[in-house]
Amino acid sequence: MSEIRHGTVEELLALRDGEGSAWVREHVAGCAACAGELLRLEQVRAQLRALPAFAPPRDRWPVVREAARGQRVRRRIWTGSSLVAAAAMVVLALAVVRRPAPAAPEDAALQQAMAESATMEQLLRSLHPDRRALTGQTAGVVAELEDQLADVDAALNDTVTWRRDPDQVAALWKQRAGLLSALVDVHETRVSVAGL
Amino acid sequence: MADTLPLAEAKSLVARARAGDLSALEHLYRAYERPVYTLARRLTRTADDAEDVLQETFLEVCRSLKQWRGEGSLWGWIRTVAASKAMMRYRREKLRQWEPLEDNVAQRAGDVPLQLDLEAALARLSDRSRAVVWLHDVEGYTHEEIAELMGMTTSFSKSQLARAHERLRQWLGEGVQT
Repeated sequence: MSEIRHGTVEELLALRDGEGSAWVREHVAGCAACAGELLRLEQVRAQLRALPAFAPPRDRWPVVREAARGQRVRRRIWTGSSLVAAAAMVVLALAVVRRPAPAAPEDAALQQAMAESATMEQLLRSLHPDRRALTGQTAGVVAELEDQLADVDAALNDTVTWRRDPDQVAALWKQRAGLLSALVDVHETRVSVAGL
Repeated sequence: MADTLPLAEAKSLVARARAGDLSALEHLYRAYERPVYTLARRLTRTADDAEDVLQETFLEVCRSLKQWRGEGSLWGWIRTVAASKAMMRYRREKLRQWEPLEDNVAQRAGDVPLQLDLEAALARLSDRSRAVVWLHDVEGYTHEEIAELMGMTTSFSKSQLARAHERLRQWLGEGVQT
């Protein structure tokens, strides 16, 4: 007489998780031992899920807070130095890529975009955006604009952009001025509406 | 675990934190501090390791907040970061020292378990078995996800889970106590 084959734990776990084979499903329907084992596996899972949460013995928030502050400062420094580097590269690009003869119209456009960007940056700084409390929606807009600004700065800081497509540089500076202008708008609105 | 923050609130807090609002970041930290630590505690060997994973997780969250676009649960995203940090630590430890394939009987130092029998039985599992059981049965990870996270095959994850349940049955049946 052959021995009855029962479901293995792996097969029963698969069944518990909704993936069991047709054979094990049929077998469990008629086998009290395997049905009992399946129930036990379900109970253990329920008990595991009901275990209480642990509370960290020490508060690690001060470390995280200081790191977050440091990141923000580094980001500002990076953006500022990126601007300086980009400005230096404008000089280089104009000297190397452009002809020395009378300024081409695109050079004038570049100079104008850079000047606009500088003006907007100065205006934004005067509004002290880092000292303001923002609502969630406004903060979302600001974060999105700052992310885009960081992307533009990264592109301006990339030498490949300058070598491959010098004309794109003016467009990037224009985009930068536009993003800064939008940030000024957001913060100016906060000042006028909320008086913050 | 269900997300402790409603999605709209999570989105708002993340946006503010991304804009540099430290109070919003602290709100996020406080909301997920315990779930992250609990997960880390289950996936690492000691309470100190779990604390380090908690810190590393939130440092990574600070750096990468812009990657969460609000399309899925914030807890799901933070949990993935935490599990990855814990597994990196596990892999480092594994390189440093030999881990028995069989589940051990060593006690884990640190916390006082509140449900003695199941806690004690969990503690007797090897780090790898405990991680598989916790990720699959509690956190709801699939075997494919566990395999990817832990650098093993799907079938190995399945057999680890089965082996761990066999051990738990044996130990819970013995009335394991600390």
